[in-house]
Amino acid sequence: MIGFLVRHRIGVLSVLIVVVVWEIAGHVSPHSPLRESPVVPPLEFIFGPALIGMADYWRIDWLAPTPIDGGERTLLGAVLALSYHTVLTLSRLVVGLVLGAVIGVALGLAISWSRVAREMFAAPLHIFRMLPLLAMVPLFQFWFGATNLSAIVFVAYGVGVVYLAGTVNAVANIQARYYEYAATLGASKARIYASVVLPAILPELFSSVMLTLGLAWSAVIGAEYIGVDSGIGRMIIWAEFFSHTGRIALVTILLTVYAAASFLVFRGVARRLLSWMPSGDPTRP
Amino acid sequence: MSQGEIVLDNVHCRFRHVSGRTVAALDGVDVTVPAGQLVCLVGPSGHGKSTLLRVVAGLTPPTEGSVHAGGEKVTGPAVDRPMVFQEDTVFPWMRVTDNVEFGLRAQGVGDAERRRTVARWLEEVGLTDFADSWPKELSGGMRKRVAVATVFATGAPYLLMDEPFGALDYVTRLSLQNMLLDLWRETRRTILFVTHDVEEALVLADRILVMRSGRLEDDIEVSLPRPRDEDIRARPEAVAITKRIHRHLGLDDAAPVAARMGVTTS
Repeated sequence: MIGFLVRHRIGVLSVLIVVVVWEIAGHVSPHSPLRESPVVPPLEFIFGPALIGMADYWRIDWLAPTPIDGGERTLLGAVLALSYHTVLTLSRLVVGLVLGAVIGVALGLAISWSRVAREMFAAPLHIFRMLPLLAMVPLFQFWFGATNLSAIVFVAYGVGVVYLAGTVNAVANIQARYYEYAATLGASKARIYASVVLPAILPELFSSVMLTLGLAWSAVIGAEYIGVDSGIGRMIIWAEFFSHTGRIALVTILLTVYAAASFLVFRGVARRLLSWMPSGDPTRP
Repeated sequence: MSQGEIVLDNVHCRFRHVSGRTVAALDGVDVTVPAGQLVCLVGPSGHGKSTLLRVVAGLTPPTEGSVHAGGEKVTGPAVDRPMVFQEDTVFPWMRVTDNVEFGLRAQGVGDAERRRTVARWLEEVGLTDFADSWPKELSGGMRKRVAVATVFATGAPYLLMDEPFGALDYVTRLSLQNMLLDLWRETRRTILFVTHDVEEALVLADRILVMRSGRLEDDIEVSLPRPRDEDIRARPEAVAITKRIHRHLGLDDAAPVAARMGVTTS
């Protein structure tokens, strides 16, 4: 820990400066007439009253009192509320991400199988990639309702398009000599797909994963902002109804921690799976 | 797999160049390679050596004429004609063992036999200790050994080698040539070996085919005793062969300077 801080002292220092500047801004900014709505919420407010305030969103009369029915705000209630909605969001994210990745890669491989298919799908694919994802949330909710399913399908669509395009691209980038070598060794097309194409595109696919991790977080939060009435993204909207700036900041910080954690977990997995790669860290192009 | 001769009958191979011009990479090649022969194809770059090999491999279809291997017409790549490329084609995502057994798996060879065959060929090329290594952990020369072991392990009667040792340093190249000769003596496979290095051809070949402008310009029997060390290669009959090839390549003293520099006008 100490070693880490010393090695990255410049980075640590700059983060500290940001925190200090935020804290100063929190104390010198004009005071809001509303006690729970400072213009710039200082840290002691975010992790104090704002955190306890999250208990408002605990609505199951179990383990902790429910303030909505006149109960007391407790730290346990706040933690329970945050955990409950985190689990909801995380499950939508993971299911959507896996679904999108599997369907996207499978479709990409299928399209790459023949040249006609490749050329047929190339143009529509580019159009789909350019559609602004968040602008399509209402449409998905019109189709699937403001439900879990809607959020999952939305995330799956958002990341699936990236995987599809990434797969088609990666297959096109494989060096012809690998196919030819495999073919002269008697490998069938199916075998070449399984033991040459699939591993050869893994490095590029993993960069897609890094890209879609960020995208998936945006997509799932976006879906919750606009329609789905639960999840950590929805908490921001609830907080916003009453201008609870501290709570908004708290959830934002939490989201940052989640996103960073998901990147770290995935980097570890990728490093292990790509240990055969000739050089460097595939997730850091 | 049964051995037989490779027969090329009036093989033409024309490509449309990006400029729209049609280029004849092979322009009527007739040749018969008997079973068990080690044949080297020499000639300047871009004169059809590699195309000839690719046609035999079934990777490039001839525009005219036909290729038969062991009496069967070549219509595409098959496991009886594996190829070692000049570039590194050892699969980087497979450990050495998995690379060597790739052709055997494609043929559906059973587990026990596959393991035995792979162990044997890893030993033949001196890589037993590296069976579980990733290709990235090996040197360029060792990766070539993996490729050689892979094609030999398939049991294929015909082996195609497209300048396999061209990118290696001198010492490594010599040791790989010796290894290949040992393996060939042991197994008597039919080998077509493309090289631009006349000395390499002289060390390896039973027979040297000289290619120029898509045609077979010369067909030279090499009956020098092996191993063909410096003394053997300094014999008058060896020097005569070198001179004969150089003449075809435009490298003899009488040829114009441009030709000696390797500039071709065709």
